[in-house]
This record gives sequence, structure tokens and C-alpha cells, in this order.
Amino acid sequence: MNETNLNGQPLIELRHISRVYQVGVEQVFALRDINLNIYRNEFVAIMGPSGSGKSTLMNIIGCLDTPTGGEYYLKGVNVGELDDNELAEIRNKEIGFVFQMFNLLPRANALKNVELPLIYAGISKTERIKRAREALESVGLGDRISHKPNELSGGQKQKVAIARALVTNPSLILADEPTGNLDSKSGEDIMKLFHRIWTLGNTIILVTHEYEIAMHAQRIIRLRDGLIESDAPNSTRITYDSMVE
Amino acid sequence: MKVITEISEGIRLSLESIWANKLRAFLAALGVVIGISFVVLMGWAISGLDKALQDSINLIGEDMLYIDKWDWSGGKKWKEIRNRKDITYQQAKQLISQLTLAEIAIPGVTTWSAQVKANNNFYSGISIYGTSADYGRLPAGDVELGRFFSLFEERETRNVAVLGHKVAKTLFPDQNPIGKYIKIKGRDFEVIGVVKKQGTMLMDFIDDRIYIPIGNFLDIFGGEFYRSVSIGIKAGSIDRMDEVREEARGLMRIIRNLKPWEEDDFSINETKAFEEIVSTFRLYVWGIGLGMTILAFIVGMIGIMNIMFVSVAERTKEIGIRKAVGAKNRSILMQFLIESSTLCLVGALTSVIFCSILVFFVAKFLPKFVPETAFLQPFLPFDFVLYASFVAILVGAIAGLLPAIRASRVDPIESLRYE
Ligand SMILES: Nc1ncnc2c1ncn2[C@@H]1O[C@H](COP(=O)(O)OP(=O)(O)O)[C@@H](O)[C@H]1O
Ligand SMILES: [Mg+2]
Repeated sequence: MNETNLNGQPLIELRHISRVYQVGVEQVFALRDINLNIYRNEFVAIMGPSGSGKSTLMNIIGCLDTPTGGEYYLKGVNVGELDDNELAEIRNKEIGFVFQMFNLLPRANALKNVELPLIYAGISKTERIKRAREALESVGLGDRISHKPNELSGGQKQKVAIARALVTNPSLILADEPTGNLDSKSGEDIMKLFHRIWTLGNTIILVTHEYEIAMHAQRIIRLRDGLIESDAPNSTRITYDSMVE
Repeated sequence: MKVITEISEGIRLSLESIWANKLRAFLAALGVVIGISFVVLMGWAISGLDKALQDSINLIGEDMLYIDKWDWSGGKKWKEIRNRKDITYQQAKQLISQLTLAEIAIPGVTTWSAQVKANNNFYSGISIYGTSADYGRLPAGDVELGRFFSLFEERETRNVAVLGHKVAKTLFPDQNPIGKYIKIKGRDFEVIGVVKKQGTMLMDFIDDRIYIPIGNFLDIFGGEFYRSVSIGIKAGSIDRMDEVREEARGLMRIIRNLKPWEEDDFSINETKAFEEIVSTFRLYVWGIGLGMTILAFIVGMIGIMNIMFVSVAERTKEIGIRKAVGAKNRSILMQFLIESSTLCLVGALTSVIFCSILVFFVAKFLPKFVPETAFLQPFLPFDFVLYASFVAILVGAIAGLLPAIRASRVDPIESLRYE
């Protein structure tokens, strides 16, 4: 079940994707010609040096950014043909973001932070609270729901962010350097959590420049100067099979 | 459903952020608070005036006409009016007996400041009003104690007096005045009744007079100098006003020997004259108030707009987060519009509370020092509180529009890039 499904429709399909920034008179090619299929329940790591275009690619996949060239199909839908409101709806329903800097609302407690995507989905308050609580419990923070971000450790903040990403049951979890701001112990914790989420059937794309982190994934894509340098299954994968309860 | 969720969430968030920055929010909303205060206080003053007007009209009766040498609306043709011949009691009686359409018609003549003796004390500044027994049939002649004088007493020129409410209180502070005697110009009058409290802003003198039969009045005061008698005519209903007015005018012109080409040398006054006086008052209040209100709202809007721009700048990251999890541009726009409107609405509620307290104390204590302000009521008119809230929401939405547009255009990638 954890094996790549090479048959059937890809969850995401990128065709000749490019992203060019105009900086003054100069053009910066963040992405040049990206071709990529990702299937359901894959666990993909994107690696590459700083400035290689990893975040740009994630933003395009997450429908926060739009490519300057090429086509992007999400569940068979050509994302390039959607307007701003439809893109917002896709972000809300299909995508769960996890950022390096956590990006929690500082004045809201854990529960309110996790509720946030459900507000824009128009879900009633009681249902929101129920689902946000469940999501927090699933990441092991059931006893921290009324804590504000500044009352939580880095690892706990990232778990809240993961709960927020999971709460809408999205098709895709996108994590851009989720352990980049954590000590190695907390980073390890977060990776365990991603691993478990993946075994529950989620699709995960994770950006990292740390080899040990990438080793948790099933498949590793390396970027350099906006191009895919390599894309291969991870043969030396770390698993938590012995540790997962 | 979605919109309702977002709006209720927006209001909750707004209240939270106002609470988190209480002082800043208050300063930002100060202009609006002042503007709203002007609106409700103006509304308060005007509704007090309107009520005073209505009271006066109810007291006199909308269907009353007063034929008089003097003109109630004042001002116009003052010299010409002053030169009119007085209306004599004879003319008044003639008119009253010839009227066929009126329900009640009464003569009235006043001295504004007489000296009265009661319980061996002298009181001055009391007005004496000579009239007929029919006055007791008018709403203004309702008694709270005793009775009005009768036709018999009027004809026989009995020395009987009916006191206005305030006169009774002044002359007989803790006594029942019925059956007591008072001296008017050295003559003894028996008190047989006390008229109900009637006074309104426009008619407060009415509580301060003593009613005696008109014959006695002329007997006592008539020789002193000539006085003009007025004739109060109750038409019976508003529909009949025109007929009654025309009949009275025609009869009066004959009685006064006017040639067809001569203008009336008397006025026919109606309660409409009060409305004119009050509408001038109202115009003054609005004129002074409106300028200040507009100024306050302009200052207020600038304050709100400013604080909202600051708020947007401080919260670009929050906006980015919201967009990343699925907020549409219009959701963000709405959130900030709700926030500025809520800020103004909270400002409005603050000023309503403040003004309610102010108004309560002003209405309670000011009339003790300035009796003319007795028309003020100790509460704010509810409809003006509603208008004020509506205006506040509108002002907030207008002032918040540019900041909200800026917020809705925040680029999520840009705002989330750095800590
Ligand atoms: N808004 C922008 N304007 C101009 N250049 C940009 C912008 N965003 C990213 N870039 C450039 O695009 C390239 C890829 O950036 P990024 O995707 O953030 O790389 P990574 O995440 O791999 O470090 C870099 O050279 C970066 O400077
Ligand atoms: Mg990056």
C-alpha cells in the first residue's frame, strides 16, 4: 500500500513548469522546465541547495503562486485556468501547508489556529471545534489546545501547524523545511509524525536540504538552478516501523 | 452559511483586537465618538423640543383658534399690529353669541403681573385671567381639585377664583386651598378649584395664573387702562377648522366695521404658530450641530483609516497565513471592513453610554437653575441611537475601505517568507 502507484491518474502533474522573476531589467529563472508526476500516498522529499527553486516549486504546487510557463494539473484539473477564488478554495480543501517558521497566529490559541482553515470552509462552530480538537489529539497535543504559540516549544508549534494542515483532510501535505527551525530531537519527533501521517494514507511533499531528513521519504527529487537534477526512489529509507506504536 | 461563519468570526476577531489595543482603539475612534455624541445629543435636544411642542398643542387643542389683537407667530408687521384697536369685551361677546359652527367659544383677558395676598402674605408676579365658565369645558380647564366656576357665578360676578397648579403650590404650600380666601387688589375671592398642572416649555405661564369671571376682572382692572380681549374658539374637530375660521373672520370683520378693501385688524392664531417657533429652534440646533458633526466625522474617519493602515501593516503575516489556508481576497477585505466598522460601532456605544449618563444628569439638574430647559428629557431618543449606530457602521466601512483593499492585496508568499 505504501508503494508508488504507477498506474492511474497522478495526483499532481507538472508539464514544463517555469517561473521567472523580473528583477529590474534582469530575469531570474527560479524554475526552468519542471516535469513531474506525483501519485497518491507518495512521500516525496525535494532537496537542493539554497536558491535552487525548492520553495518556488512548493508554492506553485500549493497554488499560492502561479507558474509563468507550463501546465499544472491537480487531480486532473488544469490549475492555470482557475481564478483567484477557485485557487483559494483549492488551498483550503486540497492542500495542507507546513512552514519552516510555523506561521501560527500569535494571538490565537492552538485550537483557534487549527480551526482557521475550517472557518474559510464555512464549517459550523461546534463541528470546527470538534475537528480541530481531534486533529490536535492526533498529533499528541490534546492537552495543549488552549495554549498560545508563545507558550509552546518549537516542536509543539510545528505539531500545531501539522494539525492545522491535516484538519481539512487535504489531498496533499506540503512541508517546506519543517524541521529547519528545530533542534535535532524535535526534528526527529516531527519526522516521526510525518511518517505516521503518511502510513495513514496521506500524500506528503517535504522540502529539506538535510540529508537525514530526506532519508525518511520514499522518493527523493534533487533540484539545481531550477531544474530537476535527479528523481529516484530512496533505497536507504529510514522507517519507524519498529517505533510506531 | 460560509459568509455567516466568516462574519461572526470577523466580529469576534475585531472585538479581540480592539480589546488587545484598548487605548489605541479608543484614540483612533475618538473622532467618531465625538461625532456620534453630537448626533445623539442633537437628537435628544430636538426630540425634547418636539415633545414640548406636542404637549403645548395637546394642551391647547389642535382644533383651537384664537382671535386676538396680537399675532402668535410674532415679528411680522409688528408696528401695524401694535396700532390695531383693542378688541373690547362687547365685541367679544357679540362674536361669541353670533358664532354658530363652533363647539365652544370663550373670551379671555389677562393681566400679567398682579399682587395677590393669601394667608397675610403678599405675592407678586402672578397673572390673573378673566374668562367665562365655558373655559372649564376646555382641556386646559381641567381641575385637579374643586371645580371651575359656573355660568351662574360668572353672570352674578361672584368673587370666586380657580388657581393654576403652581399658584396653588405657592400660595398654599401645604394646605388644601379650597374654601380659602385670597385678596386680589383688595377684594376677597374664594378659592373654588385648582387647575391641573399644564406647563410645557412654550406654555409654562399657564400654571402661574388665577382664573376669575371676566366680569369681575373688568370690574377690578378694566378702568386702569384698556386691555384687548381675545376669543378662544374650539372648532370641535380639525376638519371643521376652515368653516369655523371663515365664519369667525366674517363675523369679526362686521363687528369691527371693516370695509371690504381693508385688511383684517385682528389675527386668527392657531397652534401651527408653535410649530413655526419650534422649527426655527430646530434649525438652530441642526445648524450648529451639523457642522461640528461633519467635522468630527472627517477627523474620525482619518483616525480610523490611519489605525487600520497600521493594523494591516502589522498583520501582513497573519493575512498571508489566512490566505495560505484558504481565505479569499474578499474574505480578507470583509474582515478588515468588519473590523473598522466594529471599531466605530464600539465607539458609538461608548458615546451612547456616555451621553445617556450626561443627559440624565443634565435633564435632572439643569432645569433647577435654568427653568427654560425643563423640556429636556432624561434619556436619549431611541431612534437616534439607532441612526447613530448605523452611521457609525457606515463611517467605519468607508474609513476602512482603502486599508481593507490593501489588506486583500497582500501577497501571501511575500508576507510568509520572513519571520
Ligand atoms: N519574489 C522574488 N523575486 C525575485 N527573485 C526571487 C523571488 N523569490 C525567489 N526568487 C529567486 O528564485 C530563486 C529560487 O528561490 P527559492 O525557490 O526560494 O529557492 P530555495 O527555496 O530552493 O532556497 C532564488 O534565486 C531566489 O533569489
Ligand atoms: Mg526555500
